[in-house]
Amino acid sequence: MTTVQLTSKDFKSNLKPIWCPGCGDFGVVQGIYRALASIGRPPHEIAFVSGIGCSSRIPGYTTAYGFNTVHGRALPIAQGIKLANPELLVLVAGGDGDGFSIGGGHVPHAIRRNPDLTYLVMDNQIYGLTKGQLSPTSACGLKTVTSPHGAIEHPVNPLLYVLSYGAGFVAQATPADMAGMTAIIEEAIRYPGFSFVNVQSPCVTYGEDHQQVKAHRTAMKTLASMGHDPSDRMRAFELASHYGEQLYTGVFYRNPNPPPTYGALVKERQAALAGGLPRERILESFIQR
Amino acid sequence: MTTQTESMHPPATDLVIGMAGSGGDGIVSAGESLIAAAAAEGYHAMMTKSFGSQIRGGESSCRVRIGTSALHNPGGILDVAVALNWEDFLRFGAELPVSSQTVVIYEKATNVAPDQLPLGGVHPTDVFAVPIEEIARKAAGTDLAKNTVVLGLLAGWFDLAPDAILRGIRKRFAKKSAELVQNNEKAFQSGIDYAKANPLRQARPLARVSRSTAGLMLLDGNDMCAAASLFAGCEFFGGYPITPSTEIMQYLSREIWRYGGAVLQAEDEIAGIGAAVGASFAGKKSMTATSGPGMSLKTEMLGLASIAELPLVVVNVMRGGPSTGLPTKPEQSDLFQAAFSGHGDVLRPILAPTSVADTFRVTVEAFNLAEHYQTPVMILSDQEIAQRKETVDAIDTSRFEVLHRRVPTGAELESYERFRATESGISPISHPGMQGGNYLAAGIEHNDKGDPTVSGKIHARMNEKRFRKLDPLRHRQDLFAIEGDADAPLALIAWGSVAGVCRESLARVRASGLRAKLLVPTLLWPIAEGVYQDFLASVQAGLVVELSHQGQLYRMLRMQVDVPRGLKSLTRSGANPFLPSEIAQRLEQLAIDLQSRVSDQKGEG
Repeated sequence: MTTVQLTSKDFKSNLKPIWCPGCGDFGVVQGIYRALASIGRPPHEIAFVSGIGCSSRIPGYTTAYGFNTVHGRALPIAQGIKLANPELLVLVAGGDGDGFSIGGGHVPHAIRRNPDLTYLVMDNQIYGLTKGQLSPTSACGLKTVTSPHGAIEHPVNPLLYVLSYGAGFVAQATPADMAGMTAIIEEAIRYPGFSFVNVQSPCVTYGEDHQQVKAHRTAMKTLASMGHDPSDRMRAFELASHYGEQLYTGVFYRNPNPPPTYGALVKERQAALAGGLPRERILESFIQR
Repeated sequence: MTTQTESMHPPATDLVIGMAGSGGDGIVSAGESLIAAAAAEGYHAMMTKSFGSQIRGGESSCRVRIGTSALHNPGGILDVAVALNWEDFLRFGAELPVSSQTVVIYEKATNVAPDQLPLGGVHPTDVFAVPIEEIARKAAGTDLAKNTVVLGLLAGWFDLAPDAILRGIRKRFAKKSAELVQNNEKAFQSGIDYAKANPLRQARPLARVSRSTAGLMLLDGNDMCAAASLFAGCEFFGGYPITPSTEIMQYLSREIWRYGGAVLQAEDEIAGIGAAVGASFAGKKSMTATSGPGMSLKTEMLGLASIAELPLVVVNVMRGGPSTGLPTKPEQSDLFQAAFSGHGDVLRPILAPTSVADTFRVTVEAFNLAEHYQTPVMILSDQEIAQRKETVDAIDTSRFEVLHRRVPTGAELESYERFRATESGISPISHPGMQGGNYLAAGIEHNDKGDPTVSGKIHARMNEKRFRKLDPLRHRQDLFAIEGDADAPLALIAWGSVAGVCRESLARVRASGLRAKLLVPTLLWPIAEGVYQDFLASVQAGLVVELSHQGQLYRMLRMQVDVPRGLKSLTRSGANPFLPSEIAQRLEQLAIDLQSRVSDQKGEG
């Protein structure tokens, strides 16, 4: 593992983002560049994995090893990468549909394994890439092209979802507060274990006015300003339950005593069991005696 | 049996025993004891198990074949049938076929008269209604020892390695208690005594075999696949339990850590293959294993690995389908799925082992192809091979080459392009951690560098590259076994577990004077047109024998090869095994048909 003196530029690739002008994801990728520069791991030691969706384009806009996979499956793939090479810094990103609809079943299992990776969801409450359908975090009543008469389902609450499955680090951010978001992403990456950041990243094309960056600036309320103690998990639940009503930013929960990571336990097991028959003699265990 | 009868009949060189009972009867465990004892004596032996899909109770059966020379299949009609109750025995139908030559041993308490056996009109000459349960209770104080009594009966009647069986019994029960050892010894001896007191009409002792048992292994196909994967350098397995493939994950869950690797038991089939794709992206040899329904779920990920050109070994241990189908029985009906599932233009190599021993070679080959060609490779095993235990002669692993993916050199990393156009179509592959190798892997089409593109021109070029790199496979003659008479007009083509049945059928017809040959492809897809054309050049009539309703290889051959009119498909749905004798008879009939065709043509002329 190496840390070197790096700037945001070192993480910016030559690919020009194809997001709509004004998309919240522009801010998010800037925040990621800055957080990574501050952490100081060189790009080749970073694996950045995503699913499918507008936001899942993000690994390509960085100089890290990127893997833009299939819809909803970024987390399993990222866990395979992390297990294969625990030294890598592994970032996972995707949208709310990727993480809480098609890939929703993978989130609890990533949490219960506790791999040391960071999962950033760019939550815009809409399917943008397919042009404006209802998403799992869309508000009840929302009219979209697939809910022309108004949605009759209730949204998933991503914060409660990950909190209740036991994630050790749960935060929310908005690109409306670049400094705050960058600090949260950096803290999430530094957290030793599964960390989750729900970034309220507005869809400029299909989102509503109150969901845009400008509206966030006035609506957001930092948890720090409210004196929230991030080690208080029950209070975190209470605050997180206001998802969709009140834009809280900051760290809802940070486990003060992080348990051993998946990678650490795997390493421990490998060390404990090392020294079997050499690979070329593996069949000897089947010999009849 | 008496010395007199022994001198009248030469000892048998091959014995096929089928046993069935209820789940708790310990029939399979008796089979395990039998095969272990046979192996210890130096016999070639093979055991298949078949169950209802209940976990406890229900019916269970096993078929044990013991021979003095190499065995290719679990045998045809039973030489010996053991029924602890008839209801369970008959549930296995064609899996346990009985003829009038079969020695039938059954539980007397079933109250079925020896001349009233429910065997569809078959009247075996040697039938023994044995009070198995009663003997067990008397000898061991419990009917749990029924299976030990059965072992005694078999040892007594067929002179089947009694000393080795006894050693096995002692070893097995020694862990429990001295009393259990003693009780089971008694039960075993009671079985032998019963057999001696009630001799067969014709003694059928199994000939002794004298060969060194040094290095002789006894294992099933799933364990062989898992062990071979470790030999080939597998460092990651992601999977989800599914019958009949789960033992692969179970073995690796025990062993892979010793080699610095890891197993991830995933939340679902998709995550299992996903984690394996991730580990491969990170530079490790990786594998996943499943059966048909799981394969359906994994399919999207196969497309990702294909377009991202990531090495991956995917095992499908086939069972009867579609859907849950026959989850505990073999079938060869997933070949279309293996070749054609998934969207887009894609070519994935498919390999099939024909036996437990062959599973080693095929698994190592699968890793070599995956790593060399940077592609997912499918292994199509089936329930029979995967769960059948057989004796395997020592394998000299130094004869097997292990290939690794071609990583970029330092010079290549100076101006690295992940998907650089090369003559072979194979581009050096970097992985995270490698400085200068950074690239974006993606499901979206990409240019040489790896950057996303929607250019039709680049897409066409990349498709061409991904197909071209696999061209050399079509010329891998070593992935095909051809046996028999090179210029024969009669032919068999068979793959997977059915190949072993056809090997025996071929030997039979050739011994009776037919000129015939057999082609066994290890490489099922892509179709090596040239190999088939050469093989079929002399063929006027033949059979592609497959355990499926459709005959999927036959249909794929018809798609791609100019097959002679006389080459037909012989198929049967799963759980209805082919018998070596019936395929031999079919070949003999084909020969007679050919004669009449010749005479018809002469007559017309």
